[in-house]
Amino acid sequence: MDEEYDAIVLGTGLKECILSGMLSVSGKKVLHVDRNKYYGGESASITPLEDLFSKFKAPPPDGSYGRGRDWNVDLIPKFLMANGLLVKLLIHTGVTRYLEFKSVEGSYVYKSAKISKVPIDQQEALSSDLMGLFEKRRFRNFLIWVQNVQEDDPKSWDGFDPFSNNMQALYNKFNLDKNTQDFTGHALALYRDDDYIGQSAIGTIRRIKLYSDSLARYGKSPYLYPMYGLGELPQGFARLSAIYGGTYMLDKPIDEIVMEDGKVVGVRSGTEVAKCKQVFCDPTYVTDKVRKVGQVIRCICLLDHPISGTGDALSTQIIIPQKQVNRNSDIYVSLVSHTHQVAAKGWFVAMVSTTVETSNPEAEIKPGIDLLGPIKQKFVSVSDYLEPTDNGLNSQLFISTSYDATTHFETTCLDVLDIFKRATGEEFDFNKVKHELGDEDQ
Amino acid sequence: MATIKVTEQKVILCGEYGVGKSSIFRRFANNTFVSNNDRKSTLGLDNINKQYTIDEKTIRLQLWDTGGMERVASITSSYYKFAEAAILVFSLDNPTSFHLLSQHLLDIVTYAENAKIFLCGNKSDLESVDPQVTDVEMEQFCEQCHNLISATYKTSCKTGHGVDEMFEDIARHLVEANRSRMELHDMDKDHFKITSSDEIDEPSCLC
Repeated sequence: MDEEYDAIVLGTGLKECILSGMLSVSGKKVLHVDRNKYYGGESASITPLEDLFSKFKAPPPDGSYGRGRDWNVDLIPKFLMANGLLVKLLIHTGVTRYLEFKSVEGSYVYKSAKISKVPIDQQEALSSDLMGLFEKRRFRNFLIWVQNVQEDDPKSWDGFDPFSNNMQALYNKFNLDKNTQDFTGHALALYRDDDYIGQSAIGTIRRIKLYSDSLARYGKSPYLYPMYGLGELPQGFARLSAIYGGTYMLDKPIDEIVMEDGKVVGVRSGTEVAKCKQVFCDPTYVTDKVRKVGQVIRCICLLDHPISGTGDALSTQIIIPQKQVNRNSDIYVSLVSHTHQVAAKGWFVAMVSTTVETSNPEAEIKPGIDLLGPIKQKFVSVSDYLEPTDNGLNSQLFISTSYDATTHFETTCLDVLDIFKRATGEEFDFNKVKHELGDEDQ
Repeated sequence: MATIKVTEQKVILCGEYGVGKSSIFRRFANNTFVSNNDRKSTLGLDNINKQYTIDEKTIRLQLWDTGGMERVASITSSYYKFAEAAILVFSLDNPTSFHLLSQHLLDIVTYAENAKIFLCGNKSDLESVDPQVTDVEMEQFCEQCHNLISATYKTSCKTGHGVDEMFEDIARHLVEANRSRMELHDMDKDHFKITSSDEIDEPSCLC
């Protein structure tokens, strides 16, 4: 450890692993350390099942759960948007070769105490009970308009400036009712609350396009999920970093980030000090340089059956829009299963999560829990959502934010790309890596 | 979307740091050898494909190196995933590297349950008249592993001795294993690798 590095990365969560990979690929000498014995931190998938039970201080699982090592249970539920930023990062860094994916089977939205499938084609839309016949026609016109919008070509805007007008104005233009607005904002644009309605319409347009472009890639839903769980993602980027010369140390406690004149100079573990020019870490390594901006509740539920009303799907997402249950932020339900090698045969892992709004967060997720049917085992965690108070420009200490309650990795990637830019002064060049990986044509 | 993966077989190298895994990797890749462990020469190299034809059957071995992760940390479990074969490498002049194999074997059976396992004693050029690890000890190890080991080899990456023969033999084992597996059942595979999106068709309409 007593060496000098360009960068030291603390924590092997997904954000830190992507950063470590990007830095190594850019030619930096990187030391990557985790205080845990395993890779992934908060974004690990816990295996075997016994470890998950003991993590939540529950008595060990009985024989009905099958083999413990057939389980890989995520702590944070998310899916990949098939045409989203993380997929772009995976492709351009070549990390995609370490992973295999399945398409999530369907997406559902909660309306009037029951769930309906989010239509994926004309046929499903025609038979959907989400809106009436005339509303469907208005909604169709709206989607065609969105699809035609080219940001740099005002002629394609058809007289509505999506930059200067807000989303409410766009809804009004197409005469969409409140239900359809709810569906559009929460099930397609995937906003967690209604703040977007007062903001420039272009943001929502981009999100709807991301949804439909993602849907176009694999058909069944816009979401992908990796075999063996989300914990494979940080590991893939860690390997990328190692392949490009990054040094890895696990099970190494970090006692101090050494500063001189307000600037990072190294990291101390016991009596060893590794010198460096920059430090990257998750908020848990620097509790005095982050502030709490909220809380997220996540409830892991082990089921021996699929969710009723989803056509026995082996993977699915259900969105409960805030207004349907008199809240300010949506509740999300995600389901994966043995088909992804994250549970023993016949088992399902559901996760219910939301942004905490009251002093009784468990009661807040009840509408989601109620959809699941009988639950064999439940693990609840409430975690603080932390963000850095220092942007690192002077201190050269770059801290990521906690993982938020969104259902996908878009905000995760934006944070990573922003940190990379702050630290290196340049945007990450997606094309740089692709050409250098010389193993394709051997 | 679903690809039928019959001919491309992931083969991983396992064993202690310094036993010559990267040397085997380099011999396999471009038949070269660098004496002092010059890590830089494998920087950015990830896995290498090579084609073998066994009894008119074509098979591609895709050899993976650890990237040096085992030096101070453990290897990621994802390294083992989807592996069809694992080569347990030790150094014939280093008994410790031999005695630590059981830990690596445990990792393989945990994370790559279906992989065929091979044992490789490397640095046979350093094997003296008084060997540090004897053939009897290697046999005993295989017996203790309840015959999990499909075959054993001795190689020297310095001279190149035995390396080609080892991979050809591994290819033969995998062809045979595949043949019996294909007869048993068609592999159900609806998971896939994601690729670049240049060929996206019309954006679909959501309604």
